[in-house]
Amino acid sequence: MSDLEIWITIIALAVATGITRSGFWLVGHRVNIPPRVHEMLRYAPSCALAAIVGPDLLLDPSTTQLTVLNPKLVAGVASIGWYLFRRNMLETIVFGMLLFTALRLLHLF
Amino acid sequence: MNDTDRQPDIAAHHEASWREGIRVGMPTLFGIAAWGVVVGVAMIKSGLTVPQALGMTLLVFAGSAQLASLPLIAAAAPIWVIFATALVVNLRFLIFSALLAPHFASLPWYRRLALGYTAGDLTVALFLQRYPDVRPEAGKVSFLKGLLHPNWLAWQGGSIAGIFLGNQVPADWGLGFAGTLAIICILVPMVASKPALCGVLVAGVVAVLAAGMPYKLGLLAAVVVGMATAMAVEEIGGRKAKNV
Repeated sequence: MSDLEIWITIIALAVATGITRSGFWLVGHRVNIPPRVHEMLRYAPSCALAAIVGPDLLLDPSTTQLTVLNPKLVAGVASIGWYLFRRNMLETIVFGMLLFTALRLLHLF
Repeated sequence: MNDTDRQPDIAAHHEASWREGIRVGMPTLFGIAAWGVVVGVAMIKSGLTVPQALGMTLLVFAGSAQLASLPLIAAAAPIWVIFATALVVNLRFLIFSALLAPHFASLPWYRRLALGYTAGDLTVALFLQRYPDVRPEAGKVSFLKGLLHPNWLAWQGGSIAGIFLGNQVPADWGLGFAGTLAIICILVPMVASKPALCGVLVAGVVAVLAAGMPYKLGLLAAVVVGMATAMAVEEIGGRKAKNV
């Protein structure tokens, strides 16, 4: 792509962000969402977060094969335990990264 | 309008709420910045120039859509294809904006546009945990800004660092994992109820099984199936409660 084409693409991507992120903020009060749908939407944020986490913990990034014993899954599960125990996010991230790096360098899994 | 006069002014600056937003969002910033570094490095490694990469991070501000567009740009795909891909990858934000927008319907359009544009996965989740109810409350906007502004700065700071570090960061450091860990910490308190837990588990499994779908549609499928599961569990639980 030429420099100009790449810049046009970047603008198009910005428009795509605007439509999806701000669309409902701009016209949402004119759209009536049925209460039933609204009730269901309450679960959307947690499901979306889970849908981001799941593949990262369970899929090998290079082959996209399911791997049950891998450093990310072990460190991720241990981090859930650490967070439940300590309730401190920054601590959990540092703990998880250290464990992940240690497991990766030791090639245990 | 006398009616709105009596309602609390959600837009007025509310120092305590602003500080609370910053405090609540603070622990996520490290993970967000690490994610930004990953996307910044990816932009440079895919062949964008430094000005192009800077322009992309500042204008687009959507990590997953940026990552999805990079191979398409490298392959010189038609611009409308890249545009459509970004729309699909961002579809979950449509759901998020539908959830958050009613809280701020009274604001002028340009403020709604700006707040919506900067609201990402984690900030939406944190906001809805603090304000599950759409009723107007003083300090709502200040709390959201306390979440959004540091989040934006951490993302852009990380991303710009990644752009300039470029090829020097080895991929196997797995910096992006810090972002996943931040999400886990947000997610754990959200699954306090049985329906939410079931929905989350199903969404995670569906996302893994559907990971091969084009345009990251698996993510959307996971959200929809997860939500439906949570509702079904809620319904069954509710029926049981009524029978007792």
